[in-house]
Amino acid sequence: MVFMQSLTLESATEKSVVWPRLLPRLHVKAFTGGVIVLLFIIIGIIGPSIAPFDPNKQELTAMMKAPAGIGAPHSLGTDNLGRDILSRVIYGSRVSLLVAFAVVFVSGFIGIALGAISGFFGGKVDFLIQKLVEVVWAFPPLLLGITIMAFLGQGLFNLILALVAQRWIPYCRVVRGQTLSLRNRDFVTAAQCLGASNRQIITRHIIPNLIQTSLVIGTFAMASSIIAEASLSFLGVGVPPEIPTWGTMLADARIYISTAWWLPLFPGLCIFVTVLGINLLGDALRDILDPRLKRSGAKI
Amino acid sequence: MISARRFVTALTAVTCLLCSALGVRAQSRVSIGVTETIETHNPYGDSVSLQYGIYSEVTGPFCTYSYNKADFEGRLAERWKVENPTTWIFYLSKNYKFNDGTTVTAEDVVHSLMNRVIGDPQSKQKASVAPSVVKAEALDKFTVKVTTDKPTAPLLSFLCDRLIVTSKAAFDKYGRDAADREHMMGGGPYQLKELIPGQRLVLQKRPDHPDAKNHPNAPDEVIYRIMREPEQRVTAFLNDEIQIAQFIPPHMRQRIEKNAKLRIAPIDSVEIMFLAMQPKPPFDKKEVRQAVCHAINRDQIIATLLESFASRLDGPIGPGQYGYDPNLKPKMNYDPEVSKKLLAQAGYANGVDVELQTPVGRYTLDKQLTEAMVPMLNAAGFRARLLTPEWATLWANVQKGTVPFYYMGRGSVQDPSAALHQYFHTGETPRIGYSNPKLDELLDKEQQEFDPNKRRQYLSQAMSILTDDAPACFLWRHKLLWGLNSRIDYKPLPDARIYAIDMAVKR
Amino acid sequence: MVSYLVHRLAGTLPVLLLISFLVFSLIHAAPGDPTLLLLGEETNAADIARAKERWGLDQPLYVQYLKFVRAAAAGDFGKSFKYAEPVINVIKSRLPATIELAVFAIIIASLLAIPLGVWAGAKPNSWIDNLGTTFGLFGISMPSFWLAIMLILLLAGVLNVLPTSGRSTYGVAGPEQTGFYLFDSIMQKNWAAVWDGLTHIFLPALALGMNMLGILMRVTRSSILEVMNEDYVQTARAKGLQEKNVVWRHVTSNALIPVITVVGLELGTLLSGSIIVETVFAWPGSGSLLITALNARDYPLVTGIVMTYTLAFVAINLIIDGLYAVVDPRIRY
Repeated sequence: MVFMQSLTLESATEKSVVWPRLLPRLHVKAFTGGVIVLLFIIIGIIGPSIAPFDPNKQELTAMMKAPAGIGAPHSLGTDNLGRDILSRVIYGSRVSLLVAFAVVFVSGFIGIALGAISGFFGGKVDFLIQKLVEVVWAFPPLLLGITIMAFLGQGLFNLILALVAQRWIPYCRVVRGQTLSLRNRDFVTAAQCLGASNRQIITRHIIPNLIQTSLVIGTFAMASSIIAEASLSFLGVGVPPEIPTWGTMLADARIYISTAWWLPLFPGLCIFVTVLGINLLGDALRDILDPRLKRSGAKI
Repeated sequence: MISARRFVTALTAVTCLLCSALGVRAQSRVSIGVTETIETHNPYGDSVSLQYGIYSEVTGPFCTYSYNKADFEGRLAERWKVENPTTWIFYLSKNYKFNDGTTVTAEDVVHSLMNRVIGDPQSKQKASVAPSVVKAEALDKFTVKVTTDKPTAPLLSFLCDRLIVTSKAAFDKYGRDAADREHMMGGGPYQLKELIPGQRLVLQKRPDHPDAKNHPNAPDEVIYRIMREPEQRVTAFLNDEIQIAQFIPPHMRQRIEKNAKLRIAPIDSVEIMFLAMQPKPPFDKKEVRQAVCHAINRDQIIATLLESFASRLDGPIGPGQYGYDPNLKPKMNYDPEVSKKLLAQAGYANGVDVELQTPVGRYTLDKQLTEAMVPMLNAAGFRARLLTPEWATLWANVQKGTVPFYYMGRGSVQDPSAALHQYFHTGETPRIGYSNPKLDELLDKEQQEFDPNKRRQYLSQAMSILTDDAPACFLWRHKLLWGLNSRIDYKPLPDARIYAIDMAVKR
Repeated sequence: MVSYLVHRLAGTLPVLLLISFLVFSLIHAAPGDPTLLLLGEETNAADIARAKERWGLDQPLYVQYLKFVRAAAAGDFGKSFKYAEPVINVIKSRLPATIELAVFAIIIASLLAIPLGVWAGAKPNSWIDNLGTTFGLFGISMPSFWLAIMLILLLAGVLNVLPTSGRSTYGVAGPEQTGFYLFDSIMQKNWAAVWDGLTHIFLPALALGMNMLGILMRVTRSSILEVMNEDYVQTARAKGLQEKNVVWRHVTSNALIPVITVVGLELGTLLSGSIIVETVFAWPGSGSLLITALNARDYPLVTGIVMTYTLAFVAINLIIDGLYAVVDPRIRY
């Protein structure tokens, strides 16, 4: 709870005034977002046990059946190879969430570490890291992902790598900025006087103060990772076909838009709703954790 | 709210009414939605069927293959003879004129063949048009002598519908780029009016051309619009934005059949689809390769996924292709039990891991069809996995010879000689790496044999060896669905060529 | 100000160099051989060797890179393997379509988002605020290619009011002058072509701009909220000014600063988002060109397009910095 403490240090006065005003709104947002995200995480974890069919089980004689409605065997219909769409959508959630979490954690780790180092030490180290940031950031993001995937080949691990390649940068930037301002604060000087090493200062004193912003970034980053993975799968440079993902399902559905509307509808809807839930949660988190916005009662 | 399209249509209708009332014949225009693209102004700068077809029509064609007669017909080259196994003489028609009025002569043919197809570094057509040609000379104004390095019996299948004859004079006067861009002209019944690479190409009929006079109902203007996305092509076809739609996926045909003004024309393509296997473990054993062939239930795939729009191949080629033998043995029927026995014989009674690679979006339903093959292979004792690398990577690896097991097609197989040499002759390409001296001998013989009966025999024997030894499992030929507006009377060709002169537009 | 800009430009040069090196190595490292992809199916080893020599691919990588840099410094990005034309010409022929698309996406996004955002921000917790927030949330959560597909399905397929693809109907346009179809048509007073162009650009621009719409909405709203509580606004209210005037004269111009930032930041997303939207709508812009070039391993063309995007990115960021100075008198260089 270190970060909450420093937060309250800054805004103790505003807290009592603003919270009651925010609370009802916050409630709805956090609640809805939280429920949606929780639902997908649960589905992702217990997916295999609730999926009615094997997502890769083909039934060539039962291709392109329209949704049969809730409770019927193929409630969301079958796809172009007779596979059950509901099951594929459930398994697809596993991949999307796995990729999203992995990308956010890895890129967050790299970004926060590099940002803190960059901001704390300054000088040459800062210069080099910032140049790296500029170069990598100038790439159109999708292009970098496509090229890396072409180079590495299909695969879950490669996909995560390709997505991390640019996503560490927002963390790096924000963390660097905040480190720069925190570096000169009293409690850092105090720690230095007490003999703490640089590593200790960074890990014990600075980074905990940055977590809340990183958390907000991370939440929104998770949403964009899901969309990015779907985009890469859509363009055909994602995971091999034996792993069902929402993006690949959408890509396969492209030639069936007018004949089998349920093929592109459900995976796309899943992406949309999941991302919506994550964004709602992110909004709520930002409202709780970002003091500057609280001052004006604004909600982004 | 009136959409622009409807407004323009209404305006055109009124204009047509007025024109016909005044006795003025309105221009007939046909728009065609195609899937291949024309990317360059250089007629020799690409090697795709669409390009060959369009430019052949603009410049001749040199000669053409008639599927009705199952033989070659003269056009710009009226007739020909084989003087000796390495020398061909072509006699040109005297009636073909360029757009500026000058006659197409032997000099133009020689120039096109030697300087543009073979000599020009930017040409991508050498291997497909003149692989064994070493010299071409003009014997007189309308006679061309072509010399090949080795006897090439199927030479016509390379030259006909492919050799594009452009004007030497324009080339000399304006230089290559300007000649291609601004002074593109040919002796054919249509002239190039507009070309926007990657988007569209517009041809206009030349009313004074003898072919045009013989085909008065051929459209006056033809617009090729590049539409690679099937959904868009079909929707444009339903909206009458295009009157001919190339290659409609089978599952979309109901929408078209419901419309009385449109029809579907299925045509057997000349592209053979197969599973290639490199003779390295586990495919070094013939039994394993044969097991793969017996494992695939082609009939079910054709019936369900392709909705019967494909014809099964029992051998490298099918009916209508040169050298087809309906009695070819053996037949690799669907029989997973036989597959299991063969695998056991080869020492893989407990199964064997294989990775099948396929392109995505390059051939009709490629990913889907191969996805359906995976459980079939698994049921026959394999442990199969599917990989879908992007085309650039896959093709590079296939050419390098590093893909052990893949799904592929080989187009333009009117005459199987080129394809068989390419994939199965020792040393020609590393795509499969198969080597069989007996097969090589037969393939060499057929290439140099000018007697059609003997040639067919050699081809049959070669194909029998191939089917039995199974370096590839020959699967099917797609039936390509063309969408045609009922206003247009046209029989599409088995390759992707479109000759507008053969169309008849009802007014 | 000028010295600042010069200083900035000088700073970007090493970055551009590094980027060019990164693109170069990445694209060459990716498996795939342009000679195999671009020559015909029946090509043989001799042709491949000739093509390699012609395209300079037989040289070691660093030699190729140095050649590229030297030529690029003079403005020559080489010749495209696939199109056999100078890369600059190929890009020039396709770039206007993408720029048009991006501009329209921004216009549509701004026209919808900014008024809505201002209204929502000015009346927090009202039904307008709820609507705006929801709209914004939807905008940023929508995957653009799914939206594109759904739009095609609904508006072009089911309702059949808009075309599904392409940029124009054949036969309607006049001669091409600048490459900007709509601009040319307006200049030529060819109103049928203008309408034709608008119907073709609407769906792709909407699909592309939806994301930006959401972000703009949210940012506008929050910056309006921030500004509304400032002292000078309270003063204006105390002075007895009508709420409407307060909002428009005092609040909006200040609130637009972050909006400009957003457009600049999101430009990168727009450019890369156009890759997918152009593919789905068969829009003949540089995004679909990039995909084609990448698939064909057309090294010069890929490098050229990426460098063009980067240059555009850098230039636009400079302009935005300049705009700041104009909009916010406190900022001075």
